Amino acid sequence: MLNLLAQTEMPPFAAEGGSDQVKQFALYTLIAGFLLVAAMSFVPTKLRRPIVVGATFLAGFYYVLLWLWPKPVNFAPEQKPQGSEHVGVWLTNALPGVSSITQTLTALLLGLGVYSVLRLHGTKLIKKQKDWAFSLVLLISMLTMVTIGYVDYSELKNNPDKVNQASWGFFQYAKDFLFDGMLQAMDAAMFSSIAFFILFAAYRAFRIRSIESTVLLATALIVMLSLMGLVEYALSKQVIDSITGGDPGHFMNNFALNQVRNWIQTYVQGPGILALTWGIGIGSLSMGLRLWLSLEKTGG
Amino acid sequence: MQYYDTGWISILIVLMFVSFVLYNIRRAKTKGDKVYVRRIAGLNAIDEAIGRATEMGRPVLMVPGLGALDAIAVQAINIFGHVTATAARFATPIRLCCGDAAVYTVAQEVISEVYQREGLSDRFDQDSVRFISDRQFAFATGVSGLIHREKVAAAFLLGTFYAEALIFAETANSIGAIQVAGSTSNTQTPFFIAACDYVLIGDEFYAASAYLSREPVLTGALVGQDWIKMTMMSMVLIGALANTFEMVSQKQTADEVEVVTPTADRAGYAPGTTIEYKLEPLSEPRTKRSSELWTSRLFNQKSAPTPERELAEPAKTGGGE
Repeated sequence: MLNLLAQTEMPPFAAEGGSDQVKQFALYTLIAGFLLVAAMSFVPTKLRRPIVVGATFLAGFYYVLLWLWPKPVNFAPEQKPQGSEHVGVWLTNALPGVSSITQTLTALLLGLGVYSVLRLHGTKLIKKQKDWAFSLVLLISMLTMVTIGYVDYSELKNNPDKVNQASWGFFQYAKDFLFDGMLQAMDAAMFSSIAFFILFAAYRAFRIRSIESTVLLATALIVMLSLMGLVEYALSKQVIDSITGGDPGHFMNNFALNQVRNWIQTYVQGPGILALTWGIGIGSLSMGLRLWLSLEKTGG
Repeated sequence: MQYYDTGWISILIVLMFVSFVLYNIRRAKTKGDKVYVRRIAGLNAIDEAIGRATEMGRPVLMVPGLGALDAIAVQAINIFGHVTATAARFATPIRLCCGDAAVYTVAQEVISEVYQREGLSDRFDQDSVRFISDRQFAFATGVSGLIHREKVAAAFLLGTFYAEALIFAETANSIGAIQVAGSTSNTQTPFFIAACDYVLIGDEFYAASAYLSREPVLTGALVGQDWIKMTMMSMVLIGALANTFEMVSQKQTADEVEVVTPTADRAGYAPGTTIEYKLEPLSEPRTKRSSELWTSRLFNQKSAPTPERELAEPAKTGGGE
């Protein structure tokens, strides 16, 4: 069993990337994972659900305890916990270990995701299905990026001087071209297309079809105008005060757009968002409980 | 040993809310009362959208967003389970595109199980559930491309979305697909409202599985959520009244005010200056500040010294050299 009480040494999963310690830990985890899956396949079908339910409950219970139990802070390794303090220290120290289980699972599942991409596009390519050429481009791009990325990482690890552009070799330039030169640029291009999508969506949403859309249009117009520099200045409090002579009862005071916008954001938008956030929070709490206690039957 | 002071009131309130949900789940299980759930247009539109896809012979697209495998993703997969069950009966093809490997694995398992439960395992296409990419705009491009190539007739966008939400919604709109969307992200919901036919707003998203299945456990949990909302509304009302009463009727008297010497980071006070807390009279009684009200003290049991408080002369104790 792992000794998790007041650890002074770094746990193996927190060791430096690529070190023998990490490789050893990864190997043990892999073997343990395969053994666990093999053991589960020998378990009678009727017993599988209770095992999964039990594991889910225990995993959730750890986080519930972590939240409820008083958390010690700033304790030195030489400090000996007394009585119930053992639990608090154990829970706090175990957190990196428990989190690393999640990370290990995520890494394994990413492998499954990559397998899905390879299977889907590999089949398309082999069977020469429609648009197979795009699948070829995808597979070549993926393979190139993985190879160049890994070689670049290894070279930088062995020779940290290569961080400086003056010492770059082929793989550093290739990675820079593929990642920063192409991938990031394509990401940015895709992101910028949102501006046009917003325009089209706004046009449809703001057409006056009902009372609700009219209210929406008027409100949006006020907020948008109040954010435009010239309009903002023309209808600012200073300009209006100069017209009204500082008379608070003057009709023109109703046109101080900044104040109208502030009122909309503070008394209409703010409470609306808070109410939605509350509803979502309550829904999450209920959903989390159902998942933790395995009351949810996924799949409807 | 030192501990974080988390207070007790927030823990007590959360435990009370948890007990509301659990009690109602238990009550629904034992009594089996039928619960009325108000009409949710977005969920009623599921059959209409699938029917349209069936008539057109085009696929139904489902996207659980970019989020990791959390309660939101599980809820989205739950709804997709219902969509898939209906689509399977009519032999309508489905496409479920995932942006997270864990969500992909669970979704594939669930969708395969749905086909098995419907007795239509032969109709399950393993490639109908796909992992596209966990990179935001690669995912957006992949899904948009699929929408265009396969001319999907209906798109269900449910889960955690970011900037890609509008790209999906507008692309699907451009090919005339019916869109049902729902997200727990407050920043994306307005985009969905602007671009989609039906939108699940806020906690409607979490009510979906109860609405569709009417299972006692789920409807019981929904009643529990309503109890929580009513309790919250009562607390807000009582808190507002209590605060108003306290502010209007009780002036802060002189001997109740805490006067604090400035902290070490203020100009004129050298590092290591001792901070002193003491009570000193005010020049004249004043209305209580929000931080001095009963409700504030209840939720923030040990409030930190605030700059608004009156400052005493700098303490000359401590270091400073």
